[in-house]
Amino acid sequence: MASTACFVIVSKNDIPIYEAEVGSAPKKEDLAYQHQFILHAALDVVQDLAWSTNAMFLKSVDRFNDLVVSVYIFLNPLYLPGSRITSSHFDTKVRALARRYL
Amino acid sequence: MDPLRSYLGRLLLEEITPVVMVLTTPLAEAACRKSGLSVVDMLSPFSLFKKIDVPVRTASDQPYRLQMFKIRMVYASDVRKQDHEVADERIKPVVSEANESALPDLLSDPPQLEDVLSKPEAELCPLWIKKFNRALMRTLSFSEHETFDHPVACLLVVSSKDNEPISKFVDLFNTNQLPSLLNEGIMDPQILKHYVILHDQQDGPQEKAMNILAEMKSTLGLNDCKLLCINSSTEADGVDAENSWLPYKSYGLHNQEGSCWLNTDDLNEIKDFMQDLASNHIIPYMEQKIRVLNQQQEMSGLCYFMLDQSRKDAEYCMDSAFSTYLRIGSSGQRNATRCGLWWAEMLKTRGQYREASSVYYRVSNEEPSLHSAVLLEQAACCYLLSKPPMLRKYGFHLVLAGNSYYISDQKQHAVRTYRNALFVYKQHPWSYINDHVHFNVGRWYGVLGIFDVAIKHLLESMGKKFDVYKLQLPVINMPSLRVIYEDHRTYASEADVNVSESIWQELEEEMIPSSSVVRTNWLEKSPDLRKYKDSCVCVVGEPVKVSIELRNPLQIPVAVSCISLICQHSTSLDASENSVLTTGAGEDIASTKPAISTFEDDGNNFTVSKLDIVLQGSETRSGLPKLTGCIDHLPTNVFAGDLRLLKLNLRNHSEYAVKVYVVIHVDNTHVHGPWIMVDMSKNIKMKISHPRFIIPDDLSKVDLEFPQCLRKHGQSEINTVSTKRTQEDSKVLLFSFSQDIKIQGGATFSCPIWFHAATPGNFSLYISLYYEMESPSDMTYRTLRMHYNIEIFPSLDVSFSIRMCSSRLQEYIVRMDVLNRTPSESFVLNQLSCNDSKWAISTLPLCGSVSSVETVPANQAVSCFFKIKDLGTNSCKETENSSCTSDMLLSRDGGTEEFDISRSPITDFHYQERYQQGRLAKGPCDLLDFILISKAVGGNHSKSEADIQLLSHHVCHCSALDQSPVWWFMEGPRTVIHDFSKSYCEANIQLVIHNSGQHNISVRVVTFDSVPDKSQTVNVLDSNSNQSGWYDVSLENDIKAISTAKGTHYQKQPSESIPPYVWCSLSCAQVDLKPDTSAKVPLKVCIFMPGTYNFSNYQLHWKVHSSAVGQVDENERSGGGQGHPFYVTVLQDAQ
Repeated sequence: MASTACFVIVSKNDIPIYEAEVGSAPKKEDLAYQHQFILHAALDVVQDLAWSTNAMFLKSVDRFNDLVVSVYIFLNPLYLPGSRITSSHFDTKVRALARRYL
Repeated sequence: MDPLRSYLGRLLLEEITPVVMVLTTPLAEAACRKSGLSVVDMLSPFSLFKKIDVPVRTASDQPYRLQMFKIRMVYASDVRKQDHEVADERIKPVVSEANESALPDLLSDPPQLEDVLSKPEAELCPLWIKKFNRALMRTLSFSEHETFDHPVACLLVVSSKDNEPISKFVDLFNTNQLPSLLNEGIMDPQILKHYVILHDQQDGPQEKAMNILAEMKSTLGLNDCKLLCINSSTEADGVDAENSWLPYKSYGLHNQEGSCWLNTDDLNEIKDFMQDLASNHIIPYMEQKIRVLNQQQEMSGLCYFMLDQSRKDAEYCMDSAFSTYLRIGSSGQRNATRCGLWWAEMLKTRGQYREASSVYYRVSNEEPSLHSAVLLEQAACCYLLSKPPMLRKYGFHLVLAGNSYYISDQKQHAVRTYRNALFVYKQHPWSYINDHVHFNVGRWYGVLGIFDVAIKHLLESMGKKFDVYKLQLPVINMPSLRVIYEDHRTYASEADVNVSESIWQELEEEMIPSSSVVRTNWLEKSPDLRKYKDSCVCVVGEPVKVSIELRNPLQIPVAVSCISLICQHSTSLDASENSVLTTGAGEDIASTKPAISTFEDDGNNFTVSKLDIVLQGSETRSGLPKLTGCIDHLPTNVFAGDLRLLKLNLRNHSEYAVKVYVVIHVDNTHVHGPWIMVDMSKNIKMKISHPRFIIPDDLSKVDLEFPQCLRKHGQSEINTVSTKRTQEDSKVLLFSFSQDIKIQGGATFSCPIWFHAATPGNFSLYISLYYEMESPSDMTYRTLRMHYNIEIFPSLDVSFSIRMCSSRLQEYIVRMDVLNRTPSESFVLNQLSCNDSKWAISTLPLCGSVSSVETVPANQAVSCFFKIKDLGTNSCKETENSSCTSDMLLSRDGGTEEFDISRSPITDFHYQERYQQGRLAKGPCDLLDFILISKAVGGNHSKSEADIQLLSHHVCHCSALDQSPVWWFMEGPRTVIHDFSKSYCEANIQLVIHNSGQHNISVRVVTFDSVPDKSQTVNVLDSNSNQSGWYDVSLENDIKAISTAKGTHYQKQPSESIPPYVWCSLSCAQVDLKPDTSAKVPLKVCIFMPGTYNFSNYQLHWKVHSSAVGQVDENERSGGGQGHPFYVTVLQDAQ
């Protein structure tokens, strides 16, 4: 079954610092923006929930039709606010992992 | 809780109160019609009982005191199921109407976060949305499985005028007029029936109706019959009627026809009737029925809400009802929707907005796009209203709603929702979202015809991709704004204004007085200058030009019109003290016609427009004199060497006379020659920079004919020019002219100017003209600035190689190489001249002319040989011949006269060339300069004399290849006839040695019989070859060729192992030579057999003896040379 997934790392102030469309479904431009919309909207829920739980992993925190949003909340003390993740090595790793599990 | 306080409560009160079905006869209707009402209209206002206070028992036998009660009166004909399509059609106008009204709002700015959060709920959820919700719910009225609208009672109304009223009652309920639902048994036909006899008081006394009532009571039941009397008012529109109606107006009772026969008594009677109907009949009936009705799940949820208890239960009920409806399938879909709406309203009333929005979202999934759009919008509103506001969800759902709106063709709504979401995504780094929102908003604005906003949004979406942001059409290039005015500086053309001011200032230095006002002492400041120092000055009557560039960045043309310049008049002149220039003299809009010139850029097809708006001064006063000027026929591209006569034309446009100074400046970054100050008269000076290109001629020679004026006319004029050069070494040349230049008002003045394209390249020619006013004014002088760009192409490369003549003293052999570097032009070589008359130039003895090479075609090179003789040395004076001149005609073109190179302007240009070339290459010993004059023929030989292009090439500082202070050559018989049978032959020859240097020289002559060492020869040769005089590096190959040619000459000899001759008597001789003296060394050669012999087996070594040895170059202090070839032919005497 073809699956589609979008992986985004968001820093504070809602700034996406890393985006990757992964999954075996063929890539579509309109899917990409739909994913962005859903993930962006889910931040509302995450923002709410993050302060009410100790869990780092918020499974199925939000959903839109059959698309489910799950979130990990981390804090990287070495991160320079505002900078994007541009490492191609990281990108390759993410996509390789996605291929294995999706 | 008061149901009227919440929206849902009001909704419930209006929508799901018990329904009473009304059946009437036409006569009963007619009676009510008199007051402009229907029966239902008349009864409805009295169907709300605010304080009915009736105790009831609920389904679970709980006693409950009913506080408020309402019944809905509906005609039986309306009790039917609506068609789905018809129902949907009814909803659409609600949305469309709002669609139209949304348009004006779209023109305003999109809402910001603060605006949205501060808005009350009512504004966020506009009225039309509530209308829509209600309409959506009503589509379900009287449908299958629908219990809210099932009539709980039936009211049968018969008029007292009807015949047989009793049977009419029976007919009313039995006819097929009854709703199909009742007939089909879906609704309970055994409902409570209430019979009313309606009596119109105007139709007669009440007795008849009373009788009927009595009859009804006996037939239809005692309690279920009532008499209702109306229209008891004696006159239409009774005075008290108005007042009595007032309390009920709010319930929708509107007297439409203006006449009302109902009086207060009637109204009270109706009221009483209704109260009786409700409390005594309907409520008890419903009490019984409630056990049947409460099977609906949905209903119990609402009941919980109404009871304001047990929230969880209510929610649970709604949830299960909703999913049950969905499970049922398509038939229950609309019920699910309504259930959802109730549910959402319920949640909203409790402040559970977040839950409400998800309910809305769930509902929207089940509805067609139009409905879902409205529902989604409501969901978005709920997210906004939730605490804290969930803005991202709000934006997302608005975008979803917008999409649905767009699909259902509600573009205004679509734009509105997207616009409302804009602030959420403002300054958003989520690229896809940003692009999507802006692109769609832009696109839909475009569809709506609001193009400016559309472009703004579309650009926003493209902004990051294409880096075009906030596009203005046309683009106004503000840095290009220039205000061109002419104070004391005037310009010949507009392009000259763009030249940097510093260039002009450098040019006009020394020419313009530093201060035009003479101060009496150093403390006094010139008031006039101070006054105008910080403000721009322009002369009355002269235009001030404003130039601004408008650019069209699009691929399509844009029409630009109605450009106006707004000017503010300021009366304050004291700008230095008062920073505010405008003192409120009002604005004048200059309605001027701009001169538009359009340029087409080939590359991008851009249309560039430049506007010059000319403001005419409103005041006319006599202005200052102004000169305009230009150089006639100044070429933009010429061949190097081009020499031509031009005219500088000056015109005085005013009536005042001016005095003129001219400054000419040629700019080339690496060429900076001297300045030439031309003193035109005692008061008028002309200063020239870089006269390499331009030299002004005598003003008296305005009518010069070119090129005749350059020709030699006689010996008398030759030396006149030399007096012009007063200081050879100084960088300033002074020319004297006899008359003042004064250009009268309106007059034109021409000044001859010589132009010489000295060297290839691009040059900017700056000419500044200084003139003074004769009439006293604020401005004592003005300058006219002219600027020309000239491109000079390479034409002929001329180079010379000079070698000392080996057979004659003080003579040189010259090889001239001319290379035509033009692709198509041919040149005729006309004349070759030396710069000094001490040189005589002539052809080689054996070739009388060089006519064979007179034309140099394009891309060809020619070489020709001739000799030059130094006439200046004393020792050779005797050979001087009057026929020897420093000029040589190369062309025999129909008796052309020679050009006089010793006259202006050629000699002036030559001086400049000499100076310039001397700077580039400073040889230690330079002999002479050559001037080659040629004509361009351009393939067309039949050019008339007038438009001949004359070229003069100046090659300066030429020196001989093998310059040495010692000249030597053999003298002797060239042919010897000897009888070898008798003895060997002895030939007497002598070696003539001449010292042309400045010092004493001792020369040693060594003869040897064996062939000299080859390598030694070459060394000697190399040490003597002096190439420093050559300025053109490209010719080095040619020089090498000459060297190797000579080398091979020596190489031939070693093949003869033993020379066939021997030197006699002398193997070594030494002579001392004083400067400029000659000595002869006699030599004798023994020859053993006839043949031709080259007596060159000797060497010269010299040493310079000087008191000032240090001054002599090390290379020249001593040296040597191989013997020159000297061929002698020895013949056998025949006798």
